[in-house]
Amino acid sequence: MNRALSNPLAQWGCAIIASILLLAMFAPLIAPFDPDAINVKAILLSPSGTHWMGTDGLGRDVFSRMLYGSRISLLVGFVAVGIATAIGVILGAVAGFYRGWVDIVIMRLVDVMLSIPTFFLILAVIAFLTPSIWNIMIVIGLTSWMGVTRLIRAEFLSLREREFVLAAEVLGAQDARLIFRHLLPNSLTPVIVSFVLGVASAVLVESGLSFLGLGVQPPQASWGNILTDGKEYIQFAWWLSFFPGMAILLTVLGYNLLGEGLRDALDPRTTKQAKG
Amino acid sequence: MTHPETSGLQARASWILCLLLPLILAACGKPEGMPSVDLDHAYSPQQGGTLIDAMTGEPSGLIPMIAGESAASAIAGYIFNSLIKYDAKLELEAELAKSWDISRDQKTITFHLKPGLKWADGVPLTSADALFTWKLVTDEHTRTPYGADYKLVLKAETPDPLTFRVSYSQPYAPALDSWAGLQILPKHLLQGQDINTTAFARKPVGSHYYQLEDWRNGERISLVRNPLASQGQAHIDRIVERIIPDSASQFLELLADNIDSMVLNPIQYARIFPSRPELGKKIALYRELGNGYTYLGFNLKHKPFDDKRVRLAINYAIDKQEIIDGVLLGLGEPVAAPYKPGTRWVNPKLKPYGYDPEKARQLLKEAGFEDHDGDGILDRDGKPLAFEILTNQNKQREMSAVLIQRRLQEIGIDAHIRVLEWASFVGRFIKTGDFDVIVLGWSLSQDPDQFGIWHSSQTKPGQFNIIGYQNPKVDKLLEQGRLELNPNKRMKIYHEFSRLLLEDSPVVYLYAGYGLPAIHKRVKGIPNPAPPAGIGYNSHEWYIPEPLRRNEMATQ
Amino acid sequence: MTRYLLKRLFWMAPLLVGISLVSFLIMHLAPGDVTTTEAGFNPKASEESRQKLRKLYHLDEPVLTQYGYWLQRMVTLDFGTSFASHQRPVFLARQDGQGNVSKGLIQEALPITLLINVLSLGLIVICALPLGVISAVTQNRPPDRAITVFVFIGFAVPGFWLALMMMYWLGVAHAWLPISGLHSLHYEHLNLLGKIADSARHLAIPVFISALGGLAGISLFVRNGMLDVLHQDYITTARAKGLPENTVIYRHALRNAMLPLITILGLSIPGLIGGSVIAESLFAIPGMGKLFYDSVMMRDFPVIMGILTIGAVLTLLGNLLADVAYAWADPRVRRGVVR
Repeated sequence: MNRALSNPLAQWGCAIIASILLLAMFAPLIAPFDPDAINVKAILLSPSGTHWMGTDGLGRDVFSRMLYGSRISLLVGFVAVGIATAIGVILGAVAGFYRGWVDIVIMRLVDVMLSIPTFFLILAVIAFLTPSIWNIMIVIGLTSWMGVTRLIRAEFLSLREREFVLAAEVLGAQDARLIFRHLLPNSLTPVIVSFVLGVASAVLVESGLSFLGLGVQPPQASWGNILTDGKEYIQFAWWLSFFPGMAILLTVLGYNLLGEGLRDALDPRTTKQAKG
Repeated sequence: MTHPETSGLQARASWILCLLLPLILAACGKPEGMPSVDLDHAYSPQQGGTLIDAMTGEPSGLIPMIAGESAASAIAGYIFNSLIKYDAKLELEAELAKSWDISRDQKTITFHLKPGLKWADGVPLTSADALFTWKLVTDEHTRTPYGADYKLVLKAETPDPLTFRVSYSQPYAPALDSWAGLQILPKHLLQGQDINTTAFARKPVGSHYYQLEDWRNGERISLVRNPLASQGQAHIDRIVERIIPDSASQFLELLADNIDSMVLNPIQYARIFPSRPELGKKIALYRELGNGYTYLGFNLKHKPFDDKRVRLAINYAIDKQEIIDGVLLGLGEPVAAPYKPGTRWVNPKLKPYGYDPEKARQLLKEAGFEDHDGDGILDRDGKPLAFEILTNQNKQREMSAVLIQRRLQEIGIDAHIRVLEWASFVGRFIKTGDFDVIVLGWSLSQDPDQFGIWHSSQTKPGQFNIIGYQNPKVDKLLEQGRLELNPNKRMKIYHEFSRLLLEDSPVVYLYAGYGLPAIHKRVKGIPNPAPPAGIGYNSHEWYIPEPLRRNEMATQ
Repeated sequence: MTRYLLKRLFWMAPLLVGISLVSFLIMHLAPGDVTTTEAGFNPKASEESRQKLRKLYHLDEPVLTQYGYWLQRMVTLDFGTSFASHQRPVFLARQDGQGNVSKGLIQEALPITLLINVLSLGLIVICALPLGVISAVTQNRPPDRAITVFVFIGFAVPGFWLALMMMYWLGVAHAWLPISGLHSLHYEHLNLLGKIADSARHLAIPVFISALGGLAGISLFVRNGMLDVLHQDYITTARAKGLPENTVIYRHALRNAMLPLITILGLSIPGLIGGSVIAESLFAIPGMGKLFYDSVMMRDFPVIMGILTIGAVLTLLGNLLADVAYAWADPRVRRGVVR
């Protein structure tokens, strides 16, 4: 863990994410305006002393909307990936541990899920339900667990043959104990890394969904929909694209740096003192 | 410890190479150089040139009665014509028919075709083609949604090759409008073909100013001047419609002078252009009234919208000028009747409901809605006044809904917005009548008949009286309006109809927006200001003077 | 190993049926069908014509029956005709009685998407290899950090924003590259070299944007693969033997690190037929992304099923390839799997 935190990449990642989290948490205190306050006399004003990030197509303050929008983006990221990771760990562990036909069934399920394009699933489900923020999170979660499953399964398959596991088995340890005491803790590295990287991905998916008009409902602000609003006037109202774009960039960058930093630090094979 | 210079150099070289790749490709670009020409000089009309336009969608086929989407009718409008058409002032005038008579009992219309008309392939165009087209559009086997009007014809005859006569069982006022909308198809090419699957849809032959030259799927459709055109010769030799789905990309193409015209949105029109004077030097902006209006509709079968006071209250609570200013940047007009402003069907005595939140609150109080529990939301019998506003993925409608929601919130109504994709919207909510309030628009024909939208018999699933409006007085007027051929008498009928509608307020009229075309100044002959029919009605008279044409090599 | 392969291939057929059934059912979850989108919302359009159309396309029959019709056709590899674009064939071109050819929808969109994706993948590999190697060799030093941040920025920047910026800079501010579309208006009149150059200029920005997104993943993969390998004993041996660093890196390390890269490329095969609808809209490229998105919006079931089926086949094959390569590479897993 010390090694993890002394990795400069991870440090930078942490710093970025922490700042964004703080801004999101204290949004109501920091935001100078009500994010939904419409003012048709102040449409598309460029950044100034009053409106630090300018105003949007209905005269709403972009900075305030960005602050509240950060909550959406982060929430979607965490919850969606949380769901995906939970499903992935469970299925991957079961597949990797029991092997045999359980493994076959689960991997074929992975195949089926991978064969159906995410966008298609999301559209069908969201068209059926309300495109609310909770449904978006659930759908993203339900469609991105496959990678984690494979990772965990691969880890379990390798670790299964290791001496310490065989030793525990010989000593008469139950399945559950094997999984939870021995295998899972040693497989955590890829899980943590993939969780962190997954959050970055989920933030991008949310902005893509907003672009296609399937994101959170108006008048709620999200970085994705502020960005989409600015698409038509990119050269003119540059602030509508620049600030959410930078925010998404920094968030995704932060999570990726943290993820890669953790991977670097925790993966025994890439450290200088290789255990061989 | 190691000396990675040699390997590093190699690596760095390939890294630099892949960064430079796009720039290398870019450097092979052709050098543009528009010779300095005077775009504002008054050139006289001349033949030739190419107009490059942009479309967001692609037609599924070019047979007008089968392919109904706007992209298809836009292109088909260049290729085919009808017996009659609308002129600049939206009056009917001759097209393929040089004149027409209506019998004394008003049940028969006789069209007299112009002599010497030819199809683009040289075959003469006669009344047999008109008869053939009518038979096609009323045939059960033809998959057209537009047959209803034509099925009302009892009998269609061609006493001679230049006469086409249709008889109805009773006078039908919208008939002429329906004939202005039926594009005549060539019998000699379509007889014996299955109209639903014929290759003619991709290789049409028409009689209008242009014929299809080339259709590259997904990329562009080019039209070339038809030398045998029934109405004479268009000036511009070639029209290329480029398929560019995204309007941000279209705008960039316009700026780079790769296309000549596009339709702008209010921000581009009112904010971007004025902030860049160099754009105004080469591109001219026009403004025309669209053929529709946007409204907020109540589901009259759901409480509390069956209560007129509630509907009126919501009408007073919405600030329509704010919506026009905010969503359209002022580029639209308020309406008080379901007709295009400036036409004779608009009742000049009607005024839209103003913005009066006090009156709204009072009306709601009369209807029993007050804030009994102090939570800021009006309620009645313990139930709060809350509902969902549904709309589709249309930016302007979304923005209108946001403004409406806020104003409603101010008087204590808790409204939520739900934006849905079109097929779900129609399939799941409109057809089933499972909605409370919608923000939608109607696109109208030039004929004032609105039977399909407001008559009480049109409320079944799939029909268009989606709000469930039932007013026997209005029903009677709508039926009368269809029988009355005299324009002045008709006008009175529809004025009264509009008055009753405004009084009842089954919908809140929001606005009629302007169309905002931007066309390069090299295209001359465009009427400005736009007549009621819009700027496109005389597009065959537009011309591109030779000194202003693009490099012909590049556009062949 | 052969038994494993055969078992997997054997299971593909029922799996495909299962996937197609699930896809079909999901497709029908979304309300509406092609008749709700046809003729827009035009008050002149009558409901009975829509009913007629519904009957023709069997849309009024139960979902499983409709699936049965589809499956029946698919067994003879007949992908059917599109609902929305008036009977154009979904996959391959068809000739009618008079010799008129109507091109298949997928037949037209697929080559464009394939070309862009292959070019993009090529660009990614060309850039990712040197970047990954440098990163691994200079681990944790400034070049490594800089490259890591650079590729992450490439991954994180919103694609359409960068695309519009580039289109503006390279197409409007300077007329160096075309802004959208696939071919210039005078494409037909160019000679072969001219045609290639014209296509290259139109594809330059789309391929670059597409590659930028994937660069991060692959270059990190190469980096980690190299790091794995560089710390192995045989590398230390090679260095101890006194071999020049170049040989160590390229002859020994890189070759062995490439193996998992090939696995990853195998997994990317199904992605080759997918296009980004956002990019394709912006660049006015009629590819698979736009085809799929439009057909979902229009509820054009035959096209949707056609694309999903092809995608499913490629995914299953790609996964099989990846699993086999992985198993073959790691002896421990190979033993466990074969058991």
